[in-house]
Amino acid sequence: MKRVIKFTLNGEETECYVQDNLTMLDFLRKDLHLTGTKRGCEEGECGACTILLDGKPVTSCMMLAAEADGHDIVTIEGIMKDGQLHPVQKEFIDKWALQCGFCTPGMVLSAVALLNENPDPTEYEIRDAIAGNLCRCTGYAKIVEAISSAAEVIRKER
Amino acid sequence: MAMTSKEYYKEIEKVYKKPEDYELAGKGNAYVRIDAEAKVTGRAIYTDDVDLPGMYYCKLVRSPYAHAKIKGIDFTEAWKVPGVKGVLTGKDFPEGHNLGNPEAFKELADKEPLCRDEVRMYGDEVAAVCATSEEAADEAARVVKVDYEVLPAVLDAFEAMKEDAPAVHYAGTNNISMFTTMQGGDPDKAFAEADYTDKYYYQTQQMVHCALEPHGATAKYENGEWTIWTTTQGAYVSRYWIAWGLGVSESAVRVIKPAMGGGFGGKLDVFAHELCPAKFAQMTGHPCKCILKRDEVFLGTRTRHPIAFEIETAFTKEGKLLAKRCKHVLDGGAYGGSGIAANALSLICATFPYKVENIDMTARRPYTNKPAAGAMRGYSACQVHFAHDVHMDEAADALGIDPLKLRQINAITPYYTGPTGLQFTTCAFNETLEKVAEAIHWDDRDKQPEGTGIGIAGSGFMSGTGFPVLVTPHYCSASTMVRLNREGYATVFTGANDIGQGCDTVMTMIVAEELGLRMDEVKCVQADTTLTPWDAGSFGSRVTFLAGNSTRRAVGDAKLKLLTHWAGEWDCKPEDITMKDHRVFVKGDPEKNISFNEACYGYEEKNFGRCVAGVGSFAHEGDKDIYVKNRGNYAPAYSFSSSGAKVKIDLETGDINVQDFVFAHDCGRPLNIRAVEGQIEGSVLLGLGFTCFEKCQYDKNGKHLNPTFRDYRFPTALDMPHITSIICGNPDPDGPMGAKEAGEGSTAPVGPAIANAIARATGIKFHSLPIDPENIWRALKQKKETGVNHYGDEGLAEKFASMPDVKPMRPNVK
Repeated sequence: MKRVIKFTLNGEETECYVQDNLTMLDFLRKDLHLTGTKRGCEEGECGACTILLDGKPVTSCMMLAAEADGHDIVTIEGIMKDGQLHPVQKEFIDKWALQCGFCTPGMVLSAVALLNENPDPTEYEIRDAIAGNLCRCTGYAKIVEAISSAAEVIRKER
Repeated sequence: MAMTSKEYYKEIEKVYKKPEDYELAGKGNAYVRIDAEAKVTGRAIYTDDVDLPGMYYCKLVRSPYAHAKIKGIDFTEAWKVPGVKGVLTGKDFPEGHNLGNPEAFKELADKEPLCRDEVRMYGDEVAAVCATSEEAADEAARVVKVDYEVLPAVLDAFEAMKEDAPAVHYAGTNNISMFTTMQGGDPDKAFAEADYTDKYYYQTQQMVHCALEPHGATAKYENGEWTIWTTTQGAYVSRYWIAWGLGVSESAVRVIKPAMGGGFGGKLDVFAHELCPAKFAQMTGHPCKCILKRDEVFLGTRTRHPIAFEIETAFTKEGKLLAKRCKHVLDGGAYGGSGIAANALSLICATFPYKVENIDMTARRPYTNKPAAGAMRGYSACQVHFAHDVHMDEAADALGIDPLKLRQINAITPYYTGPTGLQFTTCAFNETLEKVAEAIHWDDRDKQPEGTGIGIAGSGFMSGTGFPVLVTPHYCSASTMVRLNREGYATVFTGANDIGQGCDTVMTMIVAEELGLRMDEVKCVQADTTLTPWDAGSFGSRVTFLAGNSTRRAVGDAKLKLLTHWAGEWDCKPEDITMKDHRVFVKGDPEKNISFNEACYGYEEKNFGRCVAGVGSFAHEGDKDIYVKNRGNYAPAYSFSSSGAKVKIDLETGDINVQDFVFAHDCGRPLNIRAVEGQIEGSVLLGLGFTCFEKCQYDKNGKHLNPTFRDYRFPTALDMPHITSIICGNPDPDGPMGAKEAGEGSTAPVGPAIANAIARATGIKFHSLPIDPENIWRALKQKKETGVNHYGDEGLAEKFASMPDVKPMRPNVK
């Protein structure tokens, strides 16, 4: 069965036909060709497919596309503003907070969600916010450093 | 007479930038990764992101038994699934074209692209289907009927070596895939004369790489030629085996390595998920993609060898290590592949970072009906240094010598030659020990509260492994081409395979540094067998050293050509000319000062339009029969490292809290400090996972019980300690800009440092991994009830004692 869903995708009003049993991950990657959302485990464990649902990080492999109806969805493709990198993206680059990069889109989105809610997080709060995003390369040290530094940048901008 | 290559390289060296003039190499934040922006924006293209028009999806059918005969395969139901376009069995691939590692013996190419008559592990690939959608392919694979005759399986390495054990591959071989021995000096005499001797047993568990990106490949077939995008650590290695498996010439296969979501050794071998979509692409005329599900990565790719150890050592009472005897038994799983090197590496690793002149060591690698073991970051070193460095603490305790001092007494020193022929160059091992001891407050180790412990450990690793894994007869070289463009940029064509570690950035930096260009004025073309020159792959910590040197020679070749031309114009020597800030000039002479663009243009004008281009290659000069002789020098240099850990153990629950972690690494000149720190921090994660978290579990029939991230846990951001990285040592004269490796050696001392800290916190010597809360709780309970203060080596002495006397042999295939 297919149904029509209306939702906001990266700031744009969107209307699509989706199969009832299609996951949000497959919808983004296969139907919309938004491949920045990564497929790591398809069981909600690794966080590589993290997107923002009404501002909260969720694993898109554990969600049906149909559930997006009426909601606000942000993917990694949607967090640059006016062609400028988000401070979290910029600090990930400057601090070498990535290696293979497969966890990076999900990691960046979890960090953006955290900083939207809490612009002055403790190290523990940062680690807690990305505890659902597995990274096998970095040991998380530079990721934590980059998020902390992005928080500082955002606070100064405000 | 023509100049020899060595003479030519000497000429090139004259125009190399001097270390005091480096603007990028060795600096902290002088540049960022060239792929960073693509990765933070989600634009980087990985294998699963390659979509082609008309593409089909391939799904593999896997064995539900650890060992069975295939009696028949029935695709009737599969063909009924709407959208199914093709099916494959082992018989669709040419017979005898097995995959593997024939490095030492050709029989070690032991893996059929799809099993023809027999499956040897749970998850072995039996058949494949392709369909217009992933869902249809999944459904069709599910309904393929395979008729099996179940055979007895052997799941334990010691059981596998018994005379009456079922043969995994070759009958009458005790299932030994590889037997390795290394001897030196007179160990019997040394043991007889020693003040102190001992014998200990250890064992490690099976672990999986868990790169976040699952393995996969996308293939197309056009004009009689394949193009394959695949998750590989070596594009040329993959091409060799894909062509062999398909039975076609290498020139008919182009392999492109897209962005890679991690490798850690797990993406070196070649797999059915690469060969089957390639075959389907040819059969159907449609491109075909096969991406593994996470459980398939656990079942069907590679694992880290579990190793059981018997270690005997002899010391003087002052603490000099006189002799070592050891036996290593490596559980090889069902196939050889990259795993064949594990034996020799395990013994080599036992000969350093501590000097030992008298050795008698053997390693056996039996096949079992479990997932195949292969290369994994810190290849053999992680297991060996866990056992041998925990052992150093036990010997120190018995000798009454400070464990730090015992390590320092025996530490390898610069330019030492080991008993099996390892030729060390620069070595700052002692410095790494000192720095770690200071930073972890080693002197306060006996003043810690109950349940808190401090541990240290050391290790070394090959820097620039000089021998191929998985490709013969190819040379284990790295090669590079560099082109200087008159429009103001350079292009580097590197064969090196960036698997996430950042070698594309390193190669770009070397070119930018030498030419005085900005990082974004150097374009990097990488790892594509049609575009880039030969490279043996990302393994053995070889990339920075070998490909780095190769890139420097390539850019040096181009630079020498350019500067020789301008030296003629300006009546000076090439080495008098500087390239800096996009300009080419003689210092202090404003008449001889032109832009990079003008310099290239001038050269081209004089040479009938020929562009300025350079080629370079680098290879370790070693004995190609090293895997047979087991003597020789494995690499052009060696890195050294030490770790210090502080842990707090909950003595009631066994819960582990790593409170502090210190890592000191001698990597020569760090080409980028943040990149080296990143390697160290990642190594601590891998080492902590190995030591306290990870283990593959099987039922009695060989079924994998935890092939998911839910049940196979590795450290999250909340599990990781604070890490202090200390970079030690001096530039290595043979390294590229003085660098040595930082990727693999850094994993090895993590485990023993944590294990030694836990031993000090609990008063219990843990002799097996993982040391997780459950095992700590059991060990504490055992100690309370029986007073026994070691744990995890139960039954090992008997297993080693009753091991059949297997003679050095090779599998004997008719």
